[in-house]
Amino acid sequence: MDQPDSPRSGVTRRAFIKGVIASGAVASSAAYLFRAGGEIFGQTSAPGSVERLITLNVNGQMRRVDVMKQETLAMTLRYKLGLTGTKIGCDRAECGACTVLIDDVPHYSCSVLTHTVRGRKVQTIEGLANGDQLHPVQQAIVDEQGFQCAFCMPGFTMAAVGFLKTNPNPTRQQLAHGISGNLCRCQDYDKILTAFMRGAEYMRRSS
Amino acid sequence: MAVIRDVMPAFELLQPTSTADALTLLGRYGSDAWILAGGLDSFDWLKDRIKRPRYVIDLSGIDELKGVRERNGGVEIGAMTTLTDVVRHPIVRDRYAILMDAAESAASPQIRNQGTIGGNVSQDTRCWYYRAGWSCYRAGGNICYADTPESINREHAILGADRCVAVNPSDTAPALIALDAEMVLRSASGDDRVVDAEDYFIGPGTDITRMTVLRPGELLTAIRIPGDWAGARFYFEKVRDRQVWDFPLVNVASAMVTSGETIQNMRLVVNAVAARPLRLVNVEQFVKGKPRNDQTADAAGEMAIEGAQPLRFNAYKVPLMRNLVKRAIRGVGEWATS
Amino acid sequence: MADTKYIGQNYTPPDLVAKVTGRARYAEDFRAEGMLFAKLLTSPMPHCRVRNIDASAALAMPGVKGILTADDLPDLGPNVERALTNEPFYAGEPILAVAAVDELTAAEAVEKINVDLEPLPFVVDPLDALRPGGPDARTTGNVWGAPMPGGVGPNAASPVKTIKWTGEQFADADEGRLPMGEPTEQWAYGDLDAGFGNAALVLDETMVVQSTGHHPMETRSAMAYWQNGKLYIHASTQSVAQTLPNVARWCGIMPQQVVLISEYTGGGFGSKGGGAVSTCIPAMLSKKLNGVPVMMRITREDENYIGRARTNMSGRTRIGFAKDGRITALDLFIVQDNGSYGPMGDHRSAGLAASIIYQPQAMRWRAISVLTNTPPRSQQRSPGPMQANGQRAKLTSAFIVEALDKGKQAFRWDERKAYSGQRRGAKVRGVGVAVGPHGSGSIGFDSLMTLRPDGKLYVQSGVGNLGTHSVMDLARVAAEVLAMPWEKVEVVWGDTGKGVPWSCLSVGSQTTHAMTRANFAGANDLKRKLQEIAAKDLGGSPDDYELSNERVHRKGAGGGLTYTQAAKRAIELGGKYDGHEVPEDINVMTKGAAAKHAGLGVMGVAKDNYPRNGTTYSFVIGFAEVEVDVETGKVTLIDYLGVGDVGTVINPRSLLAQIKGGSCLGIAHALQQKWVFDPKYGLMLSRRFHYSKPLTILDIPATMNADAVGLPDPETPVGARGVGEPPVGAGYGAVLNAIADAVGVDVFRRAPVTSDLVLMSLENKKRMHEPLRAHV
Repeated sequence: MDQPDSPRSGVTRRAFIKGVIASGAVASSAAYLFRAGGEIFGQTSAPGSVERLITLNVNGQMRRVDVMKQETLAMTLRYKLGLTGTKIGCDRAECGACTVLIDDVPHYSCSVLTHTVRGRKVQTIEGLANGDQLHPVQQAIVDEQGFQCAFCMPGFTMAAVGFLKTNPNPTRQQLAHGISGNLCRCQDYDKILTAFMRGAEYMRRSS
Repeated sequence: MAVIRDVMPAFELLQPTSTADALTLLGRYGSDAWILAGGLDSFDWLKDRIKRPRYVIDLSGIDELKGVRERNGGVEIGAMTTLTDVVRHPIVRDRYAILMDAAESAASPQIRNQGTIGGNVSQDTRCWYYRAGWSCYRAGGNICYADTPESINREHAILGADRCVAVNPSDTAPALIALDAEMVLRSASGDDRVVDAEDYFIGPGTDITRMTVLRPGELLTAIRIPGDWAGARFYFEKVRDRQVWDFPLVNVASAMVTSGETIQNMRLVVNAVAARPLRLVNVEQFVKGKPRNDQTADAAGEMAIEGAQPLRFNAYKVPLMRNLVKRAIRGVGEWATS
Repeated sequence: MADTKYIGQNYTPPDLVAKVTGRARYAEDFRAEGMLFAKLLTSPMPHCRVRNIDASAALAMPGVKGILTADDLPDLGPNVERALTNEPFYAGEPILAVAAVDELTAAEAVEKINVDLEPLPFVVDPLDALRPGGPDARTTGNVWGAPMPGGVGPNAASPVKTIKWTGEQFADADEGRLPMGEPTEQWAYGDLDAGFGNAALVLDETMVVQSTGHHPMETRSAMAYWQNGKLYIHASTQSVAQTLPNVARWCGIMPQQVVLISEYTGGGFGSKGGGAVSTCIPAMLSKKLNGVPVMMRITREDENYIGRARTNMSGRTRIGFAKDGRITALDLFIVQDNGSYGPMGDHRSAGLAASIIYQPQAMRWRAISVLTNTPPRSQQRSPGPMQANGQRAKLTSAFIVEALDKGKQAFRWDERKAYSGQRRGAKVRGVGVAVGPHGSGSIGFDSLMTLRPDGKLYVQSGVGNLGTHSVMDLARVAAEVLAMPWEKVEVVWGDTGKGVPWSCLSVGSQTTHAMTRANFAGANDLKRKLQEIAAKDLGGSPDDYELSNERVHRKGAGGGLTYTQAAKRAIELGGKYDGHEVPEDINVMTKGAAAKHAGLGVMGVAKDNYPRNGTTYSFVIGFAEVEVDVETGKVTLIDYLGVGDVGTVINPRSLLAQIKGGSCLGIAHALQQKWVFDPKYGLMLSRRFHYSKPLTILDIPATMNADAVGLPDPETPVGARGVGEPPVGAGYGAVLNAIADAVGVDVFRRAPVTSDLVLMSLENKKRMHEPLRAHV
């Protein structure tokens, strides 16, 4: 059962990068000084612990970024990668405004540690359109004027896109269940469903 | 010192890729370590800055803890299998629909995509006094804030309270007990064990600071469901305030084998009425050999709530539990759609 | 307006693509070089006094840049809420803020601060504050008195007073009857005694309506910095023009020193009406730190406390009915939980709304607004009237009968009524209807627009962009008047640096009415100028000219000028034509904005001086069918229809969404949403959404329906009124009435009607729930 490189007596130790990180290599975080972390980082890093400078696959681009151990994906996206389309509504996995796709599956990015998405594909609202060509679900929102204040829209849209990837032809009720992890306080749910039902139709047509 | 309930404190993140590595780390860091499964319960504690582990051991990279496998005529579900993967698995759907219903009723789609079955059964209580960081019995203090004459305790226990009146909030736990599942626990010390799902959960009388028998240094690695109850007549119902992202006010899970309309055998579990899911053994014995009808259901319902001691705001849980037990036996009448 | 091209038609609001691609920037989406992060230290107690603050350990931490306390903020006068305080009136009230290089450092710094607090008496339930010997929320008293002379508006200044009721008056409280001691305010009309004397049936009932948090998806985050003596602030507000002077006041500076940017607001529902007072914290921190940008991300936890909530109301109604159902007398007493600041006026609106909804022949209203140590309230979508659903003024128009008829038919009311109350299995259905009224239109605001040589019409919009699309809709009126192709209309909004006219508060269903009037005036001013320019150049009188095909030309197919030519001519002519001279009666803010645009083209600038006879009210009728599971107590909404009488429809898709969304807010109040405090410790328990239970997409039917009668209001030139609030009361009342229809009128006397409450009352065949406590 043991992996060849992980003898039970020891722990796989990842190389720990020391020294100054070249500022050019760290995506867009140059403007913000992120401290090394809490007091425990005064010590040598524990065996088996992860390195801070990591590469993320976000919207098809490989982004090099310095990430604290306890940092959530929502914070990395918003404050280090400049992807502010992902919103933080509650930061407690309750509202869905921060929803992104990780390997095509909707997740609350406020409740995902950035270090756990190394080697996985992250997609945000900014990565949905193809240049000026809106994604079918985005186009449907425009056509049906889905949403009001739209603060929940990016998360809702990613939840819907993720759901429709596995359920391309849902009933209105099934779609409601699929996107039920997102809150809209304007409570424009009826029009949101109408827009996403149209989005499902556009997706079927375009595929 | 001022209190702030925001921003996770710094910790060292450990990401083992095998169970063996995880156990080694658990052994090394002991009570300084925090096990992170899906993280939905954990992050709440960490962001509130109430729990401050020095080391967080993230299990998400351990593939051997994931997946549903056939085993001895039943199934073994890795503890790190997401609720979505449990819900979608054909064996679960075909043979253990009660577990599918229970898992699907938990939280929200995104949480089911990330939250694990191991995490769902091992999660902490949601008592709003305890979760806000009040220094109650469960948090190591010497008072229960939810059990005073003025406390707001609508969601709390009607049975089995012992100083603490918090309840177990899990939806999958009662379903797994109804299916007579077993929990596979591995330990840093090599002291591995398998416990009945029913015995996995503990009340405050046993240990007021824990919800399960899981000790520091121990890891829940898998859940085994025997073939005995596959395809039985199942009933799962969860009564809640919101139809998504809500914990049960009361839920019920049962597996029944009938011969004609006679009940041959039944396992019946209710949750969110006590600190652990309650298997109603006396009711199970009572209904054995009885016809599956209103009369049996009524008597069973009354039997189920014997000894219930409601608090100021949760007396409704008594008839609610009674009625859900009745429904588990005789079903529920629905409106024909107009 | 007849034969309209844009009014009444759907269109794609110009901000939609930015929203759907994630490019739309809300307050917390802005970044600036060297930006610091602020975190709040909030009161752990419901009422206390700060004796000492020791921040030395925090300030010594690397990365900590400074702190801000109440002593750093301007005095706003007696009883006025400030962003930070030395005497917290509720747990969660901010005492100080720390700025640091990142949030983690700021949070750790907050933990290192020692605040020495002196606990003071507190109360979280309004009735406890009125009991003999009960605690007062403030050292100066326990209630707001009647408004002081000259006080205007729903939050008119009032004195704090102390009023205690007698033990005798509380005698029936345990049986669930609201005590009625000395009120602070009252009015009456008609002969109440005769009304009750003539009644065939007299009922005396008490109803409790809970507070709920507004909880817009976007919290009240803000980012601010100073440059050349000016404050630049990115904030979340419902109303841009009206927030500017508030920010200036909170920061102790002149409005001209503030540039407010708020292009997108993630909802408000009344909680960000004129902005949020906490907005000044990053501004004042930045000022203290030589202008360095400071971001204050308000967390959902903070929003629970500083984010505002609806007032709680306990009402006792004695009501007399004639045999034909007509209400002969209504005697209403309201105890309002005003929260810690205010003064709130929801109790007054509720009284007025009750008189409109029930049309009693005689009525008396008495009320008292009680201070408690709970978070501050603000108007929440349908403040008061929703609670009343439960004025004697001439209304500008009301087509309630038409709306009722339309809805009754569309909802198949008679068919559904035939099976309501019948039990099938464990389920029983019921239907309900309710009218939601709300004052829906202020008047007297300004308009500013320019038609420029590039051939485009630039309409300046000073209201907020919170998703109702009224910020864009009001430009449709200008396009209509000026026969301007919509593609050539640019709406400029969300940045006071770009010059916006004095506009109404985007609250209380005001905007559509107020700003269609203003823009009708502004567009007609521009039209007149075009006609005058044409007459100057081409002869004849201005009235000989009309507008079409982007030209001002002689009626029929005569000669004229293109809009581009006319715009150039206006610039040459100067004076009033290009905005170098503006009307005297416009607001100083509009004058400043006009100065920015003077010389750019033909300017339309005017104040709404149109007459209005009567009070403007909008109405929505809600129709609901519910199913009650009598074995679990769970109530499920099966179907819903809202029908509006809101005047001319400007933007149908947005209007119907407002009716449905507003109804949902009321439905949530009826079914599930709550706000809970532990009375002994005075602390909030419902700190998470899974505790406070805002409505999800699965708590309503997958399809909801809405419609509008679309009859114009004769007292406003465009015929349109607001719609934001009335559906809230309609949804709330219709659902409550439907539940009563299903399981009987005696099951509940408080909302939300959760399963515990229904099941216990059915089980015991009498009302069993907590009768009077405000926040359970």
